[in-house]
Amino acid sequence: MVKRKMEHSILCKNLSYNRILDNYGWLFISFALMLLVIFLFYPIVYSFYLSFTSSKGIVQKFIGFENYIKLFNDQMFLLALKNTFTILIIQVPIMLFLALILADILNDKNIKFRGFFRTGIFLPTVTSLVATAVLFKMMFSLDGLVNTILLKLHLLKEPIPWLLDPFWAKITLIIGMTWRWTGYNMVFYLSGLQNIPYDLYESAAIDGANKIQQFFYITIPMLKPIIIFTTIMSTIGTLQLFDEPINLSSGGVTASSVGPGNSLLTLSVYIYNLVFKYMPNFGYAAAVSYVIVFITAILTFIQFKVVGEKE
Amino acid sequence: MKRIIAYLVSVVFLMTILLTGCGSSGNSVSKGSEQSSTTANSGTKKITVWCWDPNFNVAIMNDAKAIYTKEHPDVQIDVVEMAKADLEQKLNTVLASGVKEGLPDIVLIEDYNAQKYLQAYPGAFADLTDKIDYSKFAKYKVELMTLDGKIYGVPFDSGVTGLFYRRDILEQAGYKPEDLNNITWDQFIEIGKKVKEKTGKAMIGFDPADGGLMRIMLQSAGEWYFDKDGKPNFTQNPAMKEAMITYKKLFDSGIVKKVSGWNEWVAAFNKGDTATVVTGAWIIGSIKAEASQSGKWGLAPTPRLSLSNSVNASNLGGSSWYVLNGSKNKDVAIDFLKEIYAGNVEFYQKILVERGAIATYLPAQSGEAYSAPDPFFGGQKIYADLSEYMKNIPPVNYGVYTYEADAAIMGIMPDVYSGKISIDEALKKAGEQLKNQINH
Repeated sequence: MVKRKMEHSILCKNLSYNRILDNYGWLFISFALMLLVIFLFYPIVYSFYLSFTSSKGIVQKFIGFENYIKLFNDQMFLLALKNTFTILIIQVPIMLFLALILADILNDKNIKFRGFFRTGIFLPTVTSLVATAVLFKMMFSLDGLVNTILLKLHLLKEPIPWLLDPFWAKITLIIGMTWRWTGYNMVFYLSGLQNIPYDLYESAAIDGANKIQQFFYITIPMLKPIIIFTTIMSTIGTLQLFDEPINLSSGGVTASSVGPGNSLLTLSVYIYNLVFKYMPNFGYAAAVSYVIVFITAILTFIQFKVVGEKE
Repeated sequence: MKRIIAYLVSVVFLMTILLTGCGSSGNSVSKGSEQSSTTANSGTKKITVWCWDPNFNVAIMNDAKAIYTKEHPDVQIDVVEMAKADLEQKLNTVLASGVKEGLPDIVLIEDYNAQKYLQAYPGAFADLTDKIDYSKFAKYKVELMTLDGKIYGVPFDSGVTGLFYRRDILEQAGYKPEDLNNITWDQFIEIGKKVKEKTGKAMIGFDPADGGLMRIMLQSAGEWYFDKDGKPNFTQNPAMKEAMITYKKLFDSGIVKKVSGWNEWVAAFNKGDTATVVTGAWIIGSIKAEASQSGKWGLAPTPRLSLSNSVNASNLGGSSWYVLNGSKNKDVAIDFLKEIYAGNVEFYQKILVERGAIATYLPAQSGEAYSAPDPFFGGQKIYADLSEYMKNIPPVNYGVYTYEADAAIMGIMPDVYSGKISIDEALKKAGEQLKNQINH
């Protein structure tokens, strides 16, 4: 009887002790949790609610799914979607492939001034974006540096309307983005390359594989996890593309289109315009941002599936 | 032993964090109380003003502040400068959040946006209908700040437009100043062809993606992107069609220097590559920035469209002051605007001479600075001329969707330039797109 009682009390003690520990645990994380709820969960939930409303500033009304239906008829939104995907499909593969090749070349121990080239290629990533955009605008103006050089070299007869034509404006944007972000991705690949044992290349060389074969049959398969990672990061980054188009198209005399013929209008820029440039419609802007979330989730899922992590 | 050391280290570490934390917060508290005590002692009333252009409205507001605080030493005016986009972003977020803190007492709002703010944030701005004598302001300007019969702002600068031209270049092409008076855009293009032929210079800097010129043309005909009820009116709008045709003509004519963005556009006339600029009077500062061209410029009325209702006067841009309703010193803010911006004629002479600001306060225009000849413009009395043009500006209701409309129409222009679609089709397409975008 006594023994049982003791056992019981020990059990109780343990239980309550655990409970106290539990409570302390909650206490310790409560502050971080509170911040998380206030600044992350609440905005997510509230913006989801917002996406079912329509607003003119603070004049707000609940309209159910109308925002999402309206999206399909909104040519401006569809154009932004199209622009974003055009840039995504063209720019990301070019940039990643370029980064991969550069990383492979700069990983070669026989190349002189490796550190210099690595730094040089990485440097655009850390420069100020506004400064780059201003320089790009100057270089790519009708009588700017790029056209002048191309004309002087007799590669062109007429100057290219880089920032004046919808097609060329997109090309300029892609050039700018590639210039800026290739070095960033290259660093990931470089660090990945350090983990590939040199024996593999050696034995491949003995078996008679040339450099190009080594690149495609050893380097790329071995870097697969990092390639997936950079692809996903670049995809998400491009879907949220905002700074580059805003800065490249900014400073219009009194303009409100984003680039010639809205050719640089991306989804994020459209969200910004919906709230800050046009009649502030927070509800509709929230709906558009949920479209981005949705697309990002789908694309990431597809990328995981396609590349196929077996385990 | 190790444990004890580790324990000691962590205790010291924690103590330093706690102490420094307390120390710094203690400091800031004492600073804060110091500040509040000084303001409490002198009993000053503080007004905060937000505006955006350091060479223009910020500088002018500082002039106004100097005049007002001399007579009212108990008032402290704080002029905060921020980029225009930042200002709008901040105003939008604070107003939408419903928080009373963090707003200024007076804010500068661009005329195209005025109705948008008034309708989107009802009750946010102070009703000044009985406080200011609006009969003394240009009529088109007052109309922009009227909502449901109540008037909300104090009109500030005018965006009255003109045709600014290089006398020397046009003379070389065989034109006298009179030849530029009251012309149509078609005549403008004809003159441009001659100029190009004789001097090799472009007639005008032209940003094909910019809708500014379009708005000048529309308002010169008393039309806008919308009808009287604020519904998009692209297809039943002869002024708009004519403006589109003119845009295409300009684009194809070979007399324009194509530029992208403000910097290139300004550089085009500062470098002397173009013979004319057609835009708001606020450009005078940028024209005069190139001192070597002094005496070579002239001013003529804005070209008109080839329509019977189009006149040789229009407007581009311009802005006004608004008082926030939640302001703690609302009465002081209103009194400040009333005394300086709606009553001080001398102030307007000063900002005209020093900053090139054309007032919409009519009594100011009889002041001497307005009738003084300007040596930069070859002795022409340009401010008297601009004031004359201003009287003819057709009033237009900008509505609340000007920027949406502008983006819609300019978004389709590349297809018009390349001839892919006709102007009628373009208007129809852009109009439908706008309707889908703005229906709520």
